[in-house]
Amino acid sequence: MTLGKRRLDIWTFVTLLGFAIVIVFLIYPLFDVFKYSFMDKETGQFSFSNWKEFFSRAYYLRAFGHSMLVAVLTTFFSMVLGIPLAFFTSRYKIHGTNLLNTLSVLALLSPTFIGAYSWITMLGKQGFLRLFFSSIGIRLPEIYGPFGIVLSDSLQYYPFISLMLAGSLNTIDRSLEEASENLGSRSLGTFFKITLPLVMPALTGGALIVFMMSLSNFGTPMVIGGNYLVLSTLAYNMYTSEVAETPGMASTVSIVLMLCASVVIILQNWASSRRKYSSMLVNRPIQKRLAKGKSFAAHFVCYLIVALSTLPLLVIVFYSFRNTNGPVFTRGFGLESYKQIFFDIPKTVINSFVYSFIAVILISIIGTLLGFVIARSKGVSVKVLDQLLAIPYIVPGTVLGIGFIIAFNRKPIYLAGTATIIIMAYFIRRLPYSVRSAASILKQIDPALEEAGVNLGSPPGRTFRTITLPLMKSGIVSGAIMSWVTSMNELSASILLYVGKTMTMPIKIYISVVDGYFGTASAMSTILLVVTGVSMFVVNKYFNRGSETFIS
Amino acid sequence: MTSIRIVNLEKKFGELVALSNINLDIKPGEFFTLLGPSGCGKTTLLRTIAGFYKQDKGDIYLGDELVNNIPAYKRNTGMVFQNYAVFPHMTVYENVAYGLKVRRLPKKEIAERVKAALKNVHLTGYEDRTPDKLSGGQQQRVGLARAMAIEPRVLLFDEPLSNLDAKLRVEMREEIRSVQKKLGITAIYVTHDQEEALVISDRIAVVNFGKIQQVGEPWEIYKNPKNLFVATFVGKINTEDVTLEDPLAGGLRKAAFRGVTFLVPAAGTEGKSEATLAFRPEDIQETKDLSSSNKVVGQVESVSFLGSTARVMLKVEGTTIVFDRHCPREEDIPAVGETLQVSIPPSACLLFDKQSGERLGAGGER
Repeated sequence: MTLGKRRLDIWTFVTLLGFAIVIVFLIYPLFDVFKYSFMDKETGQFSFSNWKEFFSRAYYLRAFGHSMLVAVLTTFFSMVLGIPLAFFTSRYKIHGTNLLNTLSVLALLSPTFIGAYSWITMLGKQGFLRLFFSSIGIRLPEIYGPFGIVLSDSLQYYPFISLMLAGSLNTIDRSLEEASENLGSRSLGTFFKITLPLVMPALTGGALIVFMMSLSNFGTPMVIGGNYLVLSTLAYNMYTSEVAETPGMASTVSIVLMLCASVVIILQNWASSRRKYSSMLVNRPIQKRLAKGKSFAAHFVCYLIVALSTLPLLVIVFYSFRNTNGPVFTRGFGLESYKQIFFDIPKTVINSFVYSFIAVILISIIGTLLGFVIARSKGVSVKVLDQLLAIPYIVPGTVLGIGFIIAFNRKPIYLAGTATIIIMAYFIRRLPYSVRSAASILKQIDPALEEAGVNLGSPPGRTFRTITLPLMKSGIVSGAIMSWVTSMNELSASILLYVGKTMTMPIKIYISVVDGYFGTASAMSTILLVVTGVSMFVVNKYFNRGSETFIS
Repeated sequence: MTSIRIVNLEKKFGELVALSNINLDIKPGEFFTLLGPSGCGKTTLLRTIAGFYKQDKGDIYLGDELVNNIPAYKRNTGMVFQNYAVFPHMTVYENVAYGLKVRRLPKKEIAERVKAALKNVHLTGYEDRTPDKLSGGQQQRVGLARAMAIEPRVLLFDEPLSNLDAKLRVEMREEIRSVQKKLGITAIYVTHDQEEALVISDRIAVVNFGKIQQVGEPWEIYKNPKNLFVATFVGKINTEDVTLEDPLAGGLRKAAFRGVTFLVPAAGTEGKSEATLAFRPEDIQETKDLSSSNKVVGQVESVSFLGSTARVMLKVEGTTIVFDRHCPREEDIPAVGETLQVSIPPSACLLFDKQSGERLGAGGER
């Protein structure tokens, strides 16, 4: 079924709504960012002064270098962790593969700054691991700075590599590898000549996502970076120091960050379009049983990797039950930290749930409608809309936050300090994922099903309601749960947009960490972890979807 | 029972002309097949009749009703899809009841009609199954029951058997045919499988390049093809360009088949000095008679055993012809390298215009 061309129907309205959303919440704020980067601070005239400053002062260039270095190292170590995990779990019989996947996804989905904060408690100046290692004569490197960022980023993002790679390894038809061996190639030769080239697109795809995530990550470098500024924290610092004036340098740094992100996305598209293999999957690959010694080694590697990434989460949960007195942990265990949250700052918790809930409803409804239009309509305007909707992929949260605060701090749309601005930030950051996922679910639904409905006498509206929508339901709901998780854990945009009464849990955690109130931070982090874990469980249990859901 | 009339139909996709100058008169209760290679426009025609595409020109009548501007969901046609299109989120019962619920029939009548439809396709007892628990053949039966249950004016089949395995295909086509005859619903059936078309149809329209090449009963299409495309698409046929000599008495004419003189029907060849000669493998006869006409001698190049016959590739005069030999016993199967002497009766020789491919002679005009 194609959408009617001439009628001014609901789908035309949806398309117009899509354009309105993109223009008001993406183009308008981003254009302001762009404008301010070319505006002289003193005179307000058009000038390149901000750009000259950026490229002439080592302070700025260093942040650029830091960002690149951190992203490259994170990508490298994510591969070091992700490749063996993917290979062992997909090719050999490893007990508890599901558990390993679940735990690594939990680490992936948990708020970025929780991992960072947890590593501080372990490896900070008084961290128990640091004390332990120095007692046996090993001096660990300073946790504040690049080491800490790369450590916690790698341990968070490696599942992008392992899950995508395992997904690819599991869909290589067994007969391809068998054909290679049949033609006389040894198993090592088969690996390098057949298997590796076939999984290369998944590997580069995963690596670029890690690079991108690390580049635009704000929470981790903010919490653990110390004086080591990367582009995202630099933009934030510039913005907060420029409050009184026009946000010229913050805008300039934002544009640089966006340019870097665009390059990565372009590379990713190029890489994935260049190598696309399609082959029939008739014989699924089998998992070989390893000999005892080798099997033990493989299990050890897999469990070690996942344990390392789960450790920070466990530590947080552990600390949340420690008794505290203000910023100081005291002896014994209890629920004091939780009590404190619910008695002192229940508003923060409620805010997080309410804002995320509203955002998810908006994301799901509008995302599904837009996904439908994009999947089914062939018009030029819809193609343009599809492209515009990809913008949030290259806009780090920090940049979007700066754009929002500039654009919506004046007429005609004054939203500063409201809950709406935070909800809209959640909404626009997650909308493209929802649109893409709805469109791809729709593309998997055979158009003949809708035609059959129409042929049997059901008008298009009724057909959509009785055939299409029920078939999309599980995809929409699991997508909504993913949006819920990301919204609950959002920090980088909302930290620029909140005021006292609109504070959310991630912001409170960040502030508590900075102020040293680790008890509050741990308890709140634990709440977020539980929300994340329960959401994952629901997706797995009720929608029967594998771990791949979480990385799309 | 509904007749279907299609008048001067044309359909374009952008610049591509998918259908042009389509005229068809399908009789009430007829099993009518659109046969052609993939991309020929047969499915486009079926989907235009169903209302999924709108024609650029021409009219479609279902019975006496002009349906050009009737949307697909109001046309009351029952379509059976190539990939079944059974709703995966509904049970067998719900699938078959879908069109009846849309029509707001009373619950009791829905139940009765679903029961009858499922009985017709031998799926009684499967009401509560979900489609993922059904085989391909069973799913297609659900598709058929669903289309029949709404008592459509016409059943539309879009290559319904192409996803089934060979044995099931043969079984199902018998069933489709018998259920269609039993209910007396006019049917249009799209297929690229010429054998299927010959077996199942009352009449066949051979389609190519968006045009109807020939309409006729199965034997007519096979025995009396109107052009070279129909001749080569339906069944196996040998073709060879020949030069024609002066006409003889008795309605025959001499033709030079690679230097061998053949007698061929003269009708329709007036004024032509060249033509394409075609003859079917089963029309070739073995002969010991040295004086018989249209006779060639050749060596067996290869043999494929087909059951009751053996298909022999025979090398004659620098070309290879296909010859079907009846083989009741093992020793009837020729050996590779064996020399055979065969003749093609003049009555089995079909002649086509060398340029246009149109049939020469009265045969094509029936």
